[in-house]
Amino acid sequence: MYAFDIERPTTVAEAVNALKTDEAQPLGGGQTLIPTLKARLAAPSKLVSLSAIAEMIGISREGSTIRIGGATTHGQVATELAESYPALGYLASKIGDPAVRNRGTIGGSVANNDPAACYPAACLASGATITTNTRDIAADDFFLGMFETALEEDEIVTAVTFPVPQKADYQKFEQPASRFPLVGVFVAKHDDGVRVAVTGASESGVFRWTEAEEALSADFSAGALDGLSVDADGMITDLHGDGAYRAHLIKVLTGRAVTASR
Amino acid sequence: MKDHFTMDEPQPRVLDETKQGVIGTPMDRPDGARKVSGTAGYAADHKVEGMAHGVLVRATISRGRVTDIGRASVMDLDGVIEVVTDPRMTRNPAQGMAGEAPVQPGDDVHYHGQPIAVVVAETFEAARDAAQRLVVTYRKEDAASDPDATPDTEVGDPETAGDFDAAWAKADVRLDRTYTTPSQVSAAMEPHAAIAEWTDGRVELRSSLQMVRFNKAELADTLGIDADRVRILSPFVGGGFGSKLGLGPEAVAAAIASEKLGRPVRVVMSRQNVFDAVLRRSETRQRVRLGASKDGQLLALSHDDRVSNLDGEGFAEPVSQASQFLYRADGLSFTQTVARIAATPAGSVRAPGEAVGMVALEAAMDELADELGVDPVELRLNNLPDTHPMDGRAFSTRRLADCLQDGAARFGWADRWTRGTRREGDWLIGMGVASAARSNMLVKSAARVRLQGDRAVVETDMTDIGTGTYAILSQIAGEMLGLSPDRVDVRLGDSDLPGASGSGGSFGASSAGSATFLAAKRIRRDIARKLGCPEDALTLQNGRARGDNREADLSELIDQELVGEAEIEAGKTDESHFSAGFGAHFAEVAVNEWTGEVRVRRMLAVMSMGRILNEKTARSQALGGMIWGIGTALTEEVQSDARDGHVVTRDLANYHVPSHADVPGDMQVVFLEERDDWANPIQTKGIGELGISGAGAAVINAISHATGHRTYDCPALPDRVISSLAP
Repeated sequence: MYAFDIERPTTVAEAVNALKTDEAQPLGGGQTLIPTLKARLAAPSKLVSLSAIAEMIGISREGSTIRIGGATTHGQVATELAESYPALGYLASKIGDPAVRNRGTIGGSVANNDPAACYPAACLASGATITTNTRDIAADDFFLGMFETALEEDEIVTAVTFPVPQKADYQKFEQPASRFPLVGVFVAKHDDGVRVAVTGASESGVFRWTEAEEALSADFSAGALDGLSVDADGMITDLHGDGAYRAHLIKVLTGRAVTASR
Repeated sequence: MKDHFTMDEPQPRVLDETKQGVIGTPMDRPDGARKVSGTAGYAADHKVEGMAHGVLVRATISRGRVTDIGRASVMDLDGVIEVVTDPRMTRNPAQGMAGEAPVQPGDDVHYHGQPIAVVVAETFEAARDAAQRLVVTYRKEDAASDPDATPDTEVGDPETAGDFDAAWAKADVRLDRTYTTPSQVSAAMEPHAAIAEWTDGRVELRSSLQMVRFNKAELADTLGIDADRVRILSPFVGGGFGSKLGLGPEAVAAAIASEKLGRPVRVVMSRQNVFDAVLRRSETRQRVRLGASKDGQLLALSHDDRVSNLDGEGFAEPVSQASQFLYRADGLSFTQTVARIAATPAGSVRAPGEAVGMVALEAAMDELADELGVDPVELRLNNLPDTHPMDGRAFSTRRLADCLQDGAARFGWADRWTRGTRREGDWLIGMGVASAARSNMLVKSAARVRLQGDRAVVETDMTDIGTGTYAILSQIAGEMLGLSPDRVDVRLGDSDLPGASGSGGSFGASSAGSATFLAAKRIRRDIARKLGCPEDALTLQNGRARGDNREADLSELIDQELVGEAEIEAGKTDESHFSAGFGAHFAEVAVNEWTGEVRVRRMLAVMSMGRILNEKTARSQALGGMIWGIGTALTEEVQSDARDGHVVTRDLANYHVPSHADVPGDMQVVFLEERDDWANPIQTKGIGELGISGAGAAVINAISHATGHRTYDCPALPDRVISSLAP
């Protein structure tokens, strides 16, 4: 790790100001950034910690939506949403291990947009809105590709707002060492149709499986997926599994999620 | 005075006549409490006054030459003492039992990951920082790192018996299959480590090593000094599995740096260093051909393999070792090809040969049974040879048939169903079997036993690599001298003590145990004389000597120390008889029809491996081997970049050894009674490697039985299992 300065502002405005320094970088829970620094793959001159900004921490219910502050940890989401949005609470409860869940944050996860992160699938399937210090961005417009998002320089994810679907479920096929999904599928049944989001599988990062959404919107049962298949082209091939296997798993896990959704 | 014993004829079963009754008992390891309380000093645990810290620097090219190590780039850093390079530095650990220096490449680089320097600093952190910052300049050369791509291959002469081609032509049923297994690593829990210190021209090395007698010679030869100026201490070793057979580059680096700097130096390999620069098990490509008559008699058996290694290494994974003695056939043929590649060199990893060779042979036997419509246990039972198929030697003892039959009965084999027909929900259920075999050896070994009243001391440079040497030597000496093992102190892993076989090839317990037995036997002679009875009339039990109507407490009878020292080596019985451990593995698995995940639900091994010295440590060895079998079948795979040979899976998150969740709770081990009179005077056989031999095949065969389809590439990862199911 190379030397750097660190600031720990207490308001979003101060954080945005601090980030104006050259090569300053925001620090969420640090579950990706700190190992990256340790491996000397990044060398920011300054880190701006978002962990002391009270307005970015916590969960609130606003009508039929749930608003989660950007600096809220996975552990807190897992505990507090177990009843009000069980699929999302479950997702948070299965990220990494307790140490990761007690440090890692939702804002950090969506801003990083790791192609195998869990939260982007929940955002996309739920039709969530990502709120930054300057604007609101629909999840459909936010995730642009592997580690790529619509965020501009100096833009901080302050909150993510989830409409609560009628039914939902998240199925994750874990890579046993890292607990990242080899494939993860989030299925959400809304008033106006079904959304299916897939993480871990595609070389382009999280995506919606639209054919499955159409079939499930017409008939919300695992049987509705019969006859559908996912093209292995563009799926990740790595030492844990090839693209064809990931494509196969998407359908298997989607079916399981439909059956298990509540 | 040292007794010298050569194993020229079958030996009486003395340990069945002695009266102490501790042989075979599941005694706890006497070193156990120290290990779990952190007070057993492993190599790197020691702190020596004035010690500096060294971190190895690895080459980042696959072939070429270091033109500038970049010393100037780090010498200004706080705490950095020196960047040490030296023509005596070694590129990789010595092969097992080499007894001489490994290749000393000078400035040449032979593989990506080769240690090329050691950065020494006042703190570990400063040394690591400097090692990472070091800017090394190379002159690169082209070299092939992929065994499939290298033009440099050596094809050995076939080893044959009978006429394979003629037998193959006659066969009614022919099976010709190719299997692959990936590179594997030992992944011992304790990383390789060393502390070296020079005093008056003598070097003392604390290191984590399996074969001190050989390692001493290796260090002396590497440094170019007389062996009497080398002392090696290795009293506790946190796992070896072959990876610590030979002196490692970290030990050489510590010794050279310490000599140059005039102060003690400690070098500890990071886990990544261990993957890069410790000998791996070669990947294999194996072609097995089995030809049989319609009634299930094997006629032709061929097992050809392609392995790899770095140029200059004499070792080649002996893939077909067990295939050469397990089954009979009219014609047998075995050809090995070695691909020379620029990549981390290969060497002994637990049960070299059998660990991967039996996966292919036993999978092929299983598939042949399917083709013939014969039960796989029956096929094996019907094809056991009368004598060694290659050289006609008699088997010393072989209870393979008993193992297969006893195991089948215990496992419920008779209830086995037609393959591919049982499911529980999404899970397909299958049962598999495989034979186990591992050749047994006796290696020259010496030990000294001292009797002081009713306490004894065993002294040998033998090591305990977590296997239970401290326990069994105290049991052997205690049994022979009529003492409770807690009255026997065992001193190991010091090169100043009598030289033993070391731990390797499963021969440590038999070889060092026999030397201890013989040394204690010599003391029995002295005790008999003191008591005034013939040696064969002497009974020793609980510290009391009896014989010819005389008796005395040892504490009174032995008024001055009695010392017995003995050395054993293999002799004529090795030429007349072939000794091996045998067993049978059974596994039941569940395979998820939709995801290809495999869960091992239970395993059973029935083994005949000679006299069991300690039922608990023997069982632990067998279980450990079986778990390796699960890893071989399902999880373990070193991945390398085919362009430059650099190891990609350099930690235990990416190289997945079975975790607790991968291992079923129902793991049974049964030992059949056996005494191998031809093997050694304590009638034992090797324990450490039989458990892995064939275990992976039982799992692979169970998968096939569950799904009705075969996988030919290990490990059977979920994507490979799913693709095997595709129509």
